[in-house]
Amino acid sequence: MSFDFSLVIDSIPKMLMGLGLTLQLMALSAVLGTVLAVVLLLMRISRRWYLVWPSVTYIYIFRGTPILVQIFIIYYGLPQFEAVRDSIFWPILREPFGCAVLALSLNTGAYVSEILRGGILGVDKGLGEAAAALGLSVRQRFIHITTPIAIRLATPAYSNDIVSLMKSTALASTITLLDMMGIARTIVAETFAPYEVFLSLAVIYMVMTFFIQKAFGRFERHMSRYLKREN
Amino acid sequence: MADLVGWWDDFFWGSVVVAQVFFASLTMMVLFGLLGAAAKLSNSRVAQKVAAAYTVVFRGTPEILVLLLIYFGSAIALTSLAQLYDPSIAFVDIPPFWAGSFAIGLIVGAYATETFRGAFLGVDPGQIEAARALGISGFKTFIYIQIPEMWRLALPAFGNHMLSLIKDTALISIIGLNETLFAAEQAIGTTGKPFTMYIVVGCIYLSFSTAITLTVMMLEKKANRHLEGAR
Repeated sequence: MSFDFSLVIDSIPKMLMGLGLTLQLMALSAVLGTVLAVVLLLMRISRRWYLVWPSVTYIYIFRGTPILVQIFIIYYGLPQFEAVRDSIFWPILREPFGCAVLALSLNTGAYVSEILRGGILGVDKGLGEAAAALGLSVRQRFIHITTPIAIRLATPAYSNDIVSLMKSTALASTITLLDMMGIARTIVAETFAPYEVFLSLAVIYMVMTFFIQKAFGRFERHMSRYLKREN
Repeated sequence: MADLVGWWDDFFWGSVVVAQVFFASLTMMVLFGLLGAAAKLSNSRVAQKVAAAYTVVFRGTPEILVLLLIYFGSAIALTSLAQLYDPSIAFVDIPPFWAGSFAIGLIVGAYATETFRGAFLGVDPGQIEAARALGISGFKTFIYIQIPEMWRLALPAFGNHMLSLIKDTALISIIGLNETLFAAEQAIGTTGKPFTMYIVVGCIYLSFSTAITLTVMMLEKKANRHLEGAR
């Protein structure tokens, strides 16, 4: 047993061929998941039971089960029904890529929705009252006062969740997709050299995590610039 | 429901394995978390650096990657060691149960490190000074003052770590552990009903998550009982 550096040099470019797929999975699921999260959030804070109740149930189910099980239910499970196979969604659900994006988006939506709610709950009540006293309507207060501050408050947790999402994209390899993880598993199956391949891949993922955190850190500074005091 | 006849016991024993993995990895998570927090709070630069590297590495790489690396990596190391004694040995591995529990304990331990560190820092220094003034030894202060105080602060995040643990157990089926997902795959092989079987797995995990959430709520109430009426 020895550490074979030539294998590292060989496998990194091969694994990077899957970077595009990893990024696609991540970007699509992040956008779709965040849109879903906003919808769930608005339902959750609407104070109408027929909107609150479905939103709470949804979040409870998707946060309470493993993402791997959700992927399997969508990819292996749904085709059990003829109605699904005949529906217009079949071209998406037939492909592992579509299923992975769907599962990751549905999952991210549940988590991000709670993060955004945390941000909204964290906004100082006095600000809303001040805005009301200045004659802003409920809608204006929500859009111009609550939302920008809630976004700033939710950013650190949101950035952690995007990192989680990036890590979850590796599970797409369990439904035959050749993202970076899928390619790494193929190489390991051929060479049986887990150390060289998996450690190199771990470094690639860590670099991605680093850049995600950097980008969100910058965004957070931008959003909190009004808090800086000028000396 | 008719499809499930004859499979209930498989799912039951699968759930027992999930619970066993949960408790094994929970023990390791607490151990790694406390060690990590102790290292981060220590005066030793080396220990601080090691703990910082530990948290960065395991929070930045996908769980499935860590799991496969530990399982196959240890198998290769053990096999080559065994072959030194008896060249006819083809393959030696750590049982998937222990490799898996260790892997997820290690991963979630990285998150627990930050939680425990923050909680220890949150303990009012006055409490420790008071204990010292009363002549209580350093060790007893740690056990009877710092641990219960920090436990109260760490509980909410600790509950989330337990939920991560239970959900990560689903990954261990990838390295061939006989748990609920594995039972579902066998049931699907016979019945051809993937949706039904994976939904059962989802329900099992949802029950585990619910049980954990309720337990944490009870523990929080207990840990905060001395504060009741003080607000």
